[in-house]
Amino acid sequence: MKPTRMNLVRIILIAIGLAGLFLGALIMVQKERPDQIVGVIVWIGAAIIVHDGILSPLLLLLDVWMRRAGRRIPFGVLAIIQGGVVVGAIMSMLVLPEIYKKSLGTKNPTVLPLDYGLNLALFWVAVAVLTGAACVLYLAGARRRAANTLTSAA
Amino acid sequence: MRRLLAATQQALAAPPRNPRMAVVIGRLLAIAFLLCFGTGLYSHFLQEPEPWMRFSTVPAQLYQVTQGIHITAGIACFPLILGKLYTIYPQLFQTPPVKGPLHLLERASIALFVGASLVQITIGLLNTYQWYPWKFGFREVHWALSFVVIGSLAIHIAVKLPMIARFWTRNSEGTRELRGEASDAAAPVAESAPVGGVTGRIFRWIDGAPAPEPAVSRRGFITAVGVSTATVVALTAGQSFAALSPFNIFAPRVKGTGPNALPVNRTADAAQVLDTAVSPDWALTISNGRRTVTLSRAELLALPQTTVDLPISCVEGWSQMATWKGVRLRELLNKVGADTSQGLKLTSLEKKGGYRVTQMGPEYAFDASTLVALEVNGETLDIDHGYPARMIAPGRPGVLQTKWLSKLEVEA
Repeated sequence: MKPTRMNLVRIILIAIGLAGLFLGALIMVQKERPDQIVGVIVWIGAAIIVHDGILSPLLLLLDVWMRRAGRRIPFGVLAIIQGGVVVGAIMSMLVLPEIYKKSLGTKNPTVLPLDYGLNLALFWVAVAVLTGAACVLYLAGARRRAANTLTSAA
Repeated sequence: MRRLLAATQQALAAPPRNPRMAVVIGRLLAIAFLLCFGTGLYSHFLQEPEPWMRFSTVPAQLYQVTQGIHITAGIACFPLILGKLYTIYPQLFQTPPVKGPLHLLERASIALFVGASLVQITIGLLNTYQWYPWKFGFREVHWALSFVVIGSLAIHIAVKLPMIARFWTRNSEGTRELRGEASDAAAPVAESAPVGGVTGRIFRWIDGAPAPEPAVSRRGFITAVGVSTATVVALTAGQSFAALSPFNIFAPRVKGTGPNALPVNRTADAAQVLDTAVSPDWALTISNGRRTVTLSRAELLALPQTTVDLPISCVEGWSQMATWKGVRLRELLNKVGADTSQGLKLTSLEKKGGYRVTQMGPEYAFDASTLVALEVNGETLDIDHGYPARMIAPGRPGVLQTKWLSKLEVEA
């Protein structure tokens, strides 16, 4: 590498990075038993498999399926619906474990005090309503733009 | 195999999957990671200080804010990291998979970065509702992984720096080129040799779908990531920040719930103090070397009482402002002749637990608002909030606001 400023920054960053990795590994071996460290490694591997092997391919299939199913639907509307699904899905990802944990029981009643299932259902209703409204607004805007184009063309 | 990888990459191509988008979301994610790391370090050293460390007692809400940011930024990482991974997913199928030892190291470091980050935010989230479906220690692993994540982030930035520079702004060279390419996106993609069998049929199914409109697709993507992040923050951060508490429908904690209108972390039952805390023999022992003072609850109540507004700010991110009434700690310490350079050892009635015995630095011990509290929000302390007496000090994590006090020992 040429001794440019960028390369200097890169070398410093790599040194910081290696120090961080070393420190992390050191804390891990000092504080955790070997079987616990294996547990952490299994979790890291599982996280990669769940994301890269399950969630992402599912998302691709959903996207392609929507585009094929919605050949006559304007792409903007599809994008808005996809956006709504993404917002709802990410919120659900955070809330579903809470619902499950609450069903297992908590250490005291002030932990997970809400009715998360009901709230999540209402949230999805709100997402559906807002997504619908956004689609209507988008289509109205698209029609207006089309009308303007026609008028200016005439 | 190569053909399969190439075909997969092509099938995965989508307008938001470009380096500019990766840089835009990557920046936000890096900010969130650094916020989590900085506030995490602060929280760690508050709980396990080096002997020379002193902390600020003002503002009293300091820890409430830093830990609220820690948890909220951690929650915001979920949509951001998923968005970031979406932009780079086709890279997983790059051909050839490994070009050489350096390339292998780069790919391995990214795998570690992604995996460790996902685990870090997931176990952090589950910890906010005290759920530990694993056999390793949460605190130790969260601490160790924070260095792994920040270390891999530094390496990742170093590796990608030329790319980051090329796409840093709207007008950077790379971004402009990308815009130029986007205008002739209709140009036919180089035909790759067809893949046969079931996989071939899947690829043809994908290719048969109408193509996304690049501009709409990109705008839609960034909007979805932005709205998701804003939504998860708005609907959970109310556990930490009062202004958002009306919108708190998903956080594991809710302000104002529990005895004395205050949430509970560890109950008297869990701490096994149900008998000792209500024993008529209870008295608080304060000692400095051989000088010892013992005060019953009635004697504490007979001393001059001070009222302060201080938050309980939990390591798990929730916090709650409350009005406390009790005796100033420094007045009790004066009774045993402690001087303002001396710290304290606090012992609780708890039978066991990591926080049964804790230390308190002199900056907290002699602060005017640090109390041995006897009442909260106009009521006698509930047994779950530390009856007969508990510590309350400004800017400290809840786990160090010792409940069910038994002994205060001035350290030499």
